[in-house]
Amino acid sequence: MLSLETMLGWGLTTLVCALLIWITARYVWNTSQAERRATHLMKEILTPQELRQLFWRGYLDIPSTLAPQRVYRVPRSDGYVQVRENGHTVMGLCLQPTERLPRADVVILHKLMIEAQEEFYLQTANKFRYFDI
Amino acid sequence: MGVLRVLSRRGDDHITWDEQKLPMNDPETLAAIREAERIFAETRAKGATAFRIETGKPPQKIDQFDPTAQQILIVPRVVGG
Repeated sequence: MLSLETMLGWGLTTLVCALLIWITARYVWNTSQAERRATHLMKEILTPQELRQLFWRGYLDIPSTLAPQRVYRVPRSDGYVQVRENGHTVMGLCLQPTERLPRADVVILHKLMIEAQEEFYLQTANKFRYFDI
Repeated sequence: MGVLRVLSRRGDDHITWDEQKLPMNDPETLAAIREAERIFAETRAKGATAFRIETGKPPQKIDQFDPTAQQILIVPRVVGG
């Protein structure tokens, strides 16, 4: 027969495991919900051509409003934004929101900032030298 | 319909109102607009940036809430990574 301490120990262990599973399931559910909502918003904001490029090539090219030969290449997944001029990468940019966002929302953020306030975007981002091989 | 969206870790939170009912002083519309205005001011005070988005036009950064906008999208403060 199990002692009271053993039963209490098993009870506590089961409770902790159940709590951990519940927290993990809730996190996964919330994250996938957020990603779905962000993807839906992205489909509203981007044009069909932009969506095609993003899904098939894995990046979105956003033309500069300041320099006609310049294009910003925003990756679909995590990574630097490439500044491309005349078809060559000349610089890498790193800029991120202070709050964690679903990846699709980060793409929207880059697009809006580049199209509406490119100078501020360039001033704020950390810049890296980039050698296109 | 006018909509204010705030990008967040939950995807986006939004509030909508019918701008057609604005001249009629519809109480529901006015309440939604007041709430949207409050969210706009609160998020901007935290360093967020607001963009006005209209179909077929480039996005425009705005500093004042505009209830006639088709869509206002607020993104959190950004920093160099």
